[in-house]
Formats: sequence, C-alpha cells, structure tokens
Amino acid sequence: MDQPIPSRRHFLAAVGNLASAGWIALNWPQIAAAAGHAGHAAHDMHDMQDMTPPPTTFTTLSATEAAEVGAIANLIVPGGTTPGARDARVIYFIDNALGSFFAAQLPSFRQGLADFESAYATRHGADKPFSAAPEAEQVAWLQEVDKTAFFTAVRRLTVLGLIALPKYGGNYNNLGWNLLGVEDSHVWEPPFGYYDKDYAGFEPYPGTKPYTA
Amino acid sequence: MPRKTYKTSETVDFVVVGSGASGGIMARELSRAGFSVVVMEQGPRMAPEDFEHDELKYRNLSGITNNPTTNPQTFRRDPSQKAERMNGRNPLTYARIVGGSSAHFNANFWRLHEIDFIEGSRLGPIAGASLVDWPITYAELEPYYTKVEWEVGVSGLAGASPFDPPRSKPYPMPPLPVKSSGVLFERGARKLGLHPYPAPMAINSVFYKGRPPCAQCGLCGGFGCEVMAKSSSVWTVIPEAEATGRCEIRAESYVFRIGMNRAGRATGVHYFDRARNEQFQKARAVVVCANGSETPKLLLNSGTNAEGLANSSGAVGRYLMFNKGGGAAARFEHPLNEYKGANVTRVLHDFYDSDPKRGFYGGGGFDARSGGPLTWGQSVPKGTPTWGPGFKEYLESYTYWMNCSGHGTSLAQETNRIDIDPELKDAWGVPAMRVTYKDHPDDKKHAAWLSERAVEIMDAAGAKQIVPAEDAEASGGVHLLGTCRMGNDPSTSVIDKYHRTHDVRNLFLCDGSSMVTSGRGQPTQTIEALAFRAADFIGKFARTGDI
Repeated sequence: MDQPIPSRRHFLAAVGNLASAGWIALNWPQIAAAAGHAGHAAHDMHDMQDMTPPPTTFTTLSATEAAEVGAIANLIVPGGTTPGARDARVIYFIDNALGSFFAAQLPSFRQGLADFESAYATRHGADKPFSAAPEAEQVAWLQEVDKTAFFTAVRRLTVLGLIALPKYGGNYNNLGWNLLGVEDSHVWEPPFGYYDKDYAGFEPYPGTKPYTA
Repeated sequence: MPRKTYKTSETVDFVVVGSGASGGIMARELSRAGFSVVVMEQGPRMAPEDFEHDELKYRNLSGITNNPTTNPQTFRRDPSQKAERMNGRNPLTYARIVGGSSAHFNANFWRLHEIDFIEGSRLGPIAGASLVDWPITYAELEPYYTKVEWEVGVSGLAGASPFDPPRSKPYPMPPLPVKSSGVLFERGARKLGLHPYPAPMAINSVFYKGRPPCAQCGLCGGFGCEVMAKSSSVWTVIPEAEATGRCEIRAESYVFRIGMNRAGRATGVHYFDRARNEQFQKARAVVVCANGSETPKLLLNSGTNAEGLANSSGAVGRYLMFNKGGGAAARFEHPLNEYKGANVTRVLHDFYDSDPKRGFYGGGGFDARSGGPLTWGQSVPKGTPTWGPGFKEYLESYTYWMNCSGHGTSLAQETNRIDIDPELKDAWGVPAMRVTYKDHPDDKKHAAWLSERAVEIMDAAGAKQIVPAEDAEASGGVHLLGTCRMGNDPSTSVIDKYHRTHDVRNLFLCDGSSMVTSGRGQPTQTIEALAFRAADFIGKFARTGDI
C-alpha cells in the first residue's frame, strides 16, 4: 500500500531536477496522472539502492579468495586518479553473483582460482599470495594468464560488477556509472548529447512531401 | 470492471495461444466482434511498476525472456550434426510475459515494401533457397498497416523517405525527438547522397490513446516500458480486449498440446497452469500466435506421430529466417550520451531493394542506435586492451559511441528449421525445440556489404574510430520468421492466405511464422498488420459457421 508514495516522490524529484521543463511542463498534469496510475511508473535506479544497503561481508567467497579475486579485478579496472574496481566494491558483486544467479559457475570458478594460485606459487614461491605481490609482478603474471577461462570469468564478473545496479553489490555509489559517464536518472529530454544540441530540423528531400496528421 | 474469467469446461469461441504482437490484436478484434476469447500466455502478467531498469537481469539473466535453464533449446548448423545446448544461452529468444515480445521490443515499426511480397517471381529462383511470392500483396495489407499505426500507436513522418511504400494515411503522431546518433547518421548519410529520415517507432511522442509520451529513459530493447509509452500489446490492445467483458488473459498458462477429435477438428488446448497442473480449455476454434518458434513447436508436439499437427506439407518448422545484418560501431569527438532517449531516431531505406549488380540477393535498411552500458562494456573492439589502464580508458569512452546498424534479409532455406529434440525436455517435461540453422551464402555477402556501407556512413559523419561488425555465422535470433509459411498450395505451405491451416479447418496461425520472406529487419508491424487482417477473416468465418 505504501509503495506508490515513495515511488511517486522519486518521479517528482526526477522531473524537478530537469533544468528546462519542455514537454514535461506542457504535459505535466497528464504525466503525473499517468505516473500515479502506474504505481511507481517512473521509479529510478535509486529505488534499488534505497531498499538494499551495500554488503560489507562475504557470504560465498572466503576472505582469502576474495582478496585474490579482488586483486585481479582491480588490475582489470585499476584505480588511480579515477575510481577502479576496488573503489566500486566489485568483489561484493562477484561474491553475490557466485552465491546466487551464477552459483552454477562456482565450482569451476573455485577450481580456476586454485589453478591460478598454484601456478603463481610454482613461479614465485608459496610464501605469499598473488594479492600480496608488488603490482608490477601482478601485472606481469596476469599478462601470462589472461587467456585462461578463469581470467576471462573474473574479467566478465568485474565488468558486470562495475556497471550492474548497485543492488547487486558492486557499482558502489554509482562509481561504475560515473566512470562510464552515465548519469543516474530515469527521465531525459533533448538535447541528449553534443550533436543534437543545434540540429536545425529535418529537411525534406526534393520530390518528397512529408505530411502529418 | 472485474476481469472476465471462463471455466475450462466452458466451450469458448476462441482460444488464442500467445499474448504478444499478434495474439493481443487477435484477442481484441475477436472479442470486439462479439466472441468469447481466452488468451493463454506462458509467462506472468507484469504491471508497469514491475518493470525495472535492470540491465543485468533483463539482458543477462533472462529476466523476462525464455530461460535456457527452464526452457532449453539445442542448436546445430547441419542436419548431420547432433544438436547441443549452447553455453548459457538459447539460440531463439522471446519475451515470456503478457504482451510477449511486443513488451520488450525496440519498437522499430517498418512496413514491408511492395517488392517484399513478389521477390520470388522477380528475383527467384535462387540456388539453395526457397524464395517465393506471398499469397497476398502489399496493397491488400496496406489498410492493416495503417490500422496498426492508428490503433496501436506509431510515431513517424509520412512521406519523408523517397522509398516509402504507398500509404493511405499519415502517422498519428509526430516523430520522436532526434538524438545525437540520429544527427550524425543523418549528416553522414546525406553527405553520401542517401536519404535518412525520422524513424517510425511504436512509441508515443505525444499523449495518445490514454498513454503518455516517451520519458526518454533510454532502455527500450529488452525492457518493458513502465511509463507505457511503448505501444506494447500489454498496454494497448490487451486492456481493450478485456474491456469488452468477453476476453480473459490467462497468464502463466503454458499450452503444450492442441486437443483434436477423431473428425480432425481442434477441440481446445491442453496446458499447464501456474501450479504446473494439467488443464484443458475447450474452444470452438484455436488461434496460435505463440511466435515463430513456439508455434511450430506446439504443432510438432501436438500430433499423433512425428509429423505433428497440420503438417501434411512437411513445412511446419522449416524455412526459419532471422534478419541477417551488418553494421559498425563508431566513436566521435564529443559525447553522444546514447543511453538517453529512445533507441532509434533515424533510419534509411536506400538499400532496401535487392540489386543484381551487387552480385548477390539481399536488401536492407539502416538505423542509428545504441545499447545499454552493461551490454556495451562486455566487449571491446579488436586492438583495444581487454584489461588494465587501456581497458579502463575504453570504458570511459562509453558516451562517445554509437552504432550504425544494418538490418537485412535472410533467405528461406528448407534445411533451416525448428523441430523437436529427440532427448531434451523443458522444466515442464515438454519436448524441447531443436534449431538447425546455417546462413545462405548470399546472406553472408549481403551482411558484409552492409558493414561496408555502415563504415562509409560513419566515416562521412566524422567518426574518429570505426569498428565494423565482425562477419559471423548466425547462431540464433529474436526475429523468428517463416516457420509456418502462408501460401496457396497446401503441399508447400502450412496456412492459407487467411491464416487457416490447410489441414485443420478450425485451427489458425498468425505470427512471425506466417511470413514467407524475412523483410528487412523489423517484422513486428507486419506481424501486427497480418493479425488485424487475419482477425477480420476469422471473425467472418466464425459468423458464418465456417470454422
């Protein structure tokens, strides 16, 4: 019963944030009515975050596994002057995914991780794990194994964790979307980008007679 | 008004199997004509607020589509091979909710052109293909294309394309606002002497029939439209069918066999209800609108032998077509922000007709479009690092990219087909579909040709980087066409020009499976026009006792 109220609030907020109202102002009463009719017809992505606080513990991976996989992820999308996989808490997405919708992949993922670690230990010694190695050594090792199925799996999970909705555990504070340049809103109006700002309108071709209702 | 429900023991006039682009229209037209109708839909009914902007769920986890785990399919290139399940996906994808694939389509609504209906006699025969004429012409379908545009709701600019086929009315709504991809596409194409024009889209650009205009959220293809601006059956014809008080939409009802009596007449449908209990709904006639994969599957699973039902021609499941295409991705100097706004705003049809001078059969249209960030981020162009700082830099370029996408013909081939896998069953125990598909050599040549044109258009538009689509064999699709083709000859086609099966008098089929040729890439408006036309005839037959 309470659902439409916050959702409607979100919709109003989204519309209110627009600098120039355009067709929204023109059509406001009908849009508001339609949104109300639709329950939370125009819920934005924030709804997901409101309902699900970001995870802070691992439920599928062990802390050791998470450290290793997290280190790989953070070399796939490194931090630095702009946030990377670690800042976006991608490892929590991976932990969540392998414990739920990608659970079928967990055994092969674990086997892949074990193979990754044992191969690394054979080369560099078993005294410290990959995640504790200097970054240059980590990068050099990944360059040797980046065609393996395990690395490919970590890479895919890293990208998904960076860009999927925050409710899945990653993309913390929209850092993934920020990296891509994606703003979090539901409603847009033109101009959308650089090139449609000064579009002069559609010019008919010789011999054609466009017509409207 | 409470929604009408029928008991399974009641003999309704029509059971319609499927609630998508054609099923919804069939339901509205037949119920408005005074008939009692039950629509069976495999999937659940979703309210506007149930749709989410969740690209992971909808694009990667089969959120509203047939799920490879519960609705598995097998695939092979050649009949000599053993078909296998594909890794994590199905070859054929469709939405499995009330509204069907009309709920998650991109909403490109292109009419076929006059040539599409007569290519067999104009361009055939073609070795290795079955290119034949339709039993109807564009002129016969034109009033129904217009009906789709006005009854369902399409925005566009009539007469803007020099290649537009004849039309009796303009679009009821003006085009959607152009986005940067449309501007660049138009700029490049015009420089080359081509004729891009505002895209006809089944999306409201203004308030129309009680639904609001597009909120420009950017997530059309693969997603349901929670503001109801997209003209999906679930927001348009289905509520209108229910408003007659004679139509029930029965969700989570999976029809697995058509009931038949000894006289060779359909008696209703066997289905699993939401608790997976078997039920039987009695009906005077059955209209299957289940899509180009589920319709042949249902017929093949409904026979008393391997031939299946209504398959004296042997054509059920054969002549499967997708829409083969080619294109290019392009990066520009400034942000386009393609994640905002309806997916497509400009198209062109200069290359629509097949031209023998090209050295192969094939025609197509182009559009400027985009994909969501999650889908985009999972692949990188050749030569771009797949991890590390170079990959991160690529991710940061997302808003600078667009796609120039060519959509074209697939030739009908007898060996490309859907049949029943000899071993695999789905989660309900229903024998699953097996897909056999190999591109015709002309389809591949045409796709590569389209990619070359896309590169030219993007280059003329000033792109800084252009990535042509890789030439790859088709291994599935979402446009599922031709598998119960219509025709005048019962020995070579499954349905007649009125969508009645040649073999069973009170069994009708209408969806992508009815199409004889593939068109150029955007089949939904044609499927809907066929549905309006078929419903006219089926209603007449029913009124005169001819079912």
